[in-house]
Amino acid sequence: MSQIVPILRIGDTLLVSLQGELDDTAVIRVEDQLTREVARTGATGTLIDVSGLSVVDSFIARVIARIVGMTRLLGSEAVVVGIQPAVAITLVELGVPMGHLDTALNAEQGLTLLRRLRANGHRAG
Amino acid sequence: MPTPRNGNRTAADRAAADRLRGLEAMLDAIADYAVITLDAEGRVARWSRGAEALTGHAPAEAIGQPAAMLRTAEDRDAGLPERDLASARATGRCEVEGWRLRGDGRRYWARGVLTAMRDGQGRVTGFVEVTHDATAAMRAETMFRGLLESAPDAIVIVEESGRIALVNRKTEELFGYGRAQLIGHDVEVLVPERFRAQHPALRNGFFAAARARPMGAGLELFAVRRDGSEFPVEISLSPLETDSGILVSAAIRDVTERRDQLRQLRRQRDEILELSTPVIQVWDKVLALPIIGTLDSNRAARLTESLLEKIAERQAEVIILDISGVPTIDTMVAQHLLKTVQAATLMGAVSIMSGVRPETAQAMVHLGIDIGHLRSRSTLRDALQLALQIVRDRAGDGSRAERTVTGEGGL
Repeated sequence: MSQIVPILRIGDTLLVSLQGELDDTAVIRVEDQLTREVARTGATGTLIDVSGLSVVDSFIARVIARIVGMTRLLGSEAVVVGIQPAVAITLVELGVPMGHLDTALNAEQGLTLLRRLRANGHRAG
Repeated sequence: MPTPRNGNRTAADRAAADRLRGLEAMLDAIADYAVITLDAEGRVARWSRGAEALTGHAPAEAIGQPAAMLRTAEDRDAGLPERDLASARATGRCEVEGWRLRGDGRRYWARGVLTAMRDGQGRVTGFVEVTHDATAAMRAETMFRGLLESAPDAIVIVEESGRIALVNRKTEELFGYGRAQLIGHDVEVLVPERFRAQHPALRNGFFAAARARPMGAGLELFAVRRDGSEFPVEISLSPLETDSGILVSAAIRDVTERRDQLRQLRRQRDEILELSTPVIQVWDKVLALPIIGTLDSNRAARLTESLLEKIAERQAEVIILDISGVPTIDTMVAQHLLKTVQAATLMGAVSIMSGVRPETAQAMVHLGIDIGHLRSRSTLRDALQLALQIVRDRAGDGSRAERTVTGEGGL
């Protein structure tokens, strides 16, 4: 209710930026909105920026992993960018399975990676 | 023929003489005390059996002599015998204590009371000195005082009321008070102001269940000097049961030096830890982490932390973990390294391991350590070459399948 998470569209790419202290309902709303938006726009890439999250619990981590899985099913490559050092340590210690994620340090490198992934996807397809 | 009146008097005299004899017999029965009667001038008038036993002088040698005959030459020179008599004459009673001489020349420590006797008009007619041999007690006391005074710690003996009963020299030295300024005062004068209010309750708690133990286990304790300055201390408490109730002896040690050393040791350890986990930028977007020495969990956590922070700070895309300086890789160390790699991957950096020696490789496979798809090179040079290639490829237009490099699987 309290938090509105904007989803930006830049060409073929959607950018969603998670910030502050996300509660469970907010992150589930992002999941719902983002999948609808991917389907509606037919975006081929999604960038999930988490650089604004200083704390990530296992629930939010799982939802983020789920969002990546859903957007891939919808034919869009997804890259998570900007995971903070402390968050990375926490996720490893918690043992949240996020190994299949494509990650990048920042949005710029994320876009480069998306380009590469799209190229691979086209080649594979 | 005596008159009946005279006869009565004679009978009365006889009864008085009997009583006197009885009293004298009683005095002589007191074996442990020397009971010496002196005339008004301080000459021996009566010498009890106890006096004979204690001093070794027969009554014949003593009677008529000045009482000072028993005193040491030093005491006599100092005029102490006369002073004692004057004091007893003035106040009626005087406590006496000091070395006395036996007939054979040996000394004993006498302790007792000198009492003045008065006639009906209040004139002093003589004195009675009752003393006993307190040599053993004096020795014990001397030893106790000697121990107390020579103790390396400040020792403060406290009564149940919280008042200081006794302190030693080291206490004066440490706190800057003279002993007269402490004895009889509350022990709280030695407690810093900010702890003073709660101290009596703690002190009562100790008296309620007194047993030897350190004070404030696990806490940093402080004491305050006369000039108001505080210093860190360690205090051990132990109860002393005496006839006048429980006393507590507190041995107080100034640990300023030790605490400083400890602090310095900690700082050095932190510095060593800092030095032992250097993260080096070897190329644009490439970081190298040479790991030297044994990795324990404390160091591994620190290493992971500093590496990830450097990745964020330098926006590094590739990191090289060089383990040529690690003597042995066991499951624990491997776990630490793999966790570091996983966390770095989550941030979007690729990891390369380098410096794996043949024996290390053998050990890792024997131990069943699975490094997943983590790339490994035997030398740092090869690893750097691979790193540069990865950076080039990632900056490129995506003509290469890069997901294998970014750590597909392996996590």
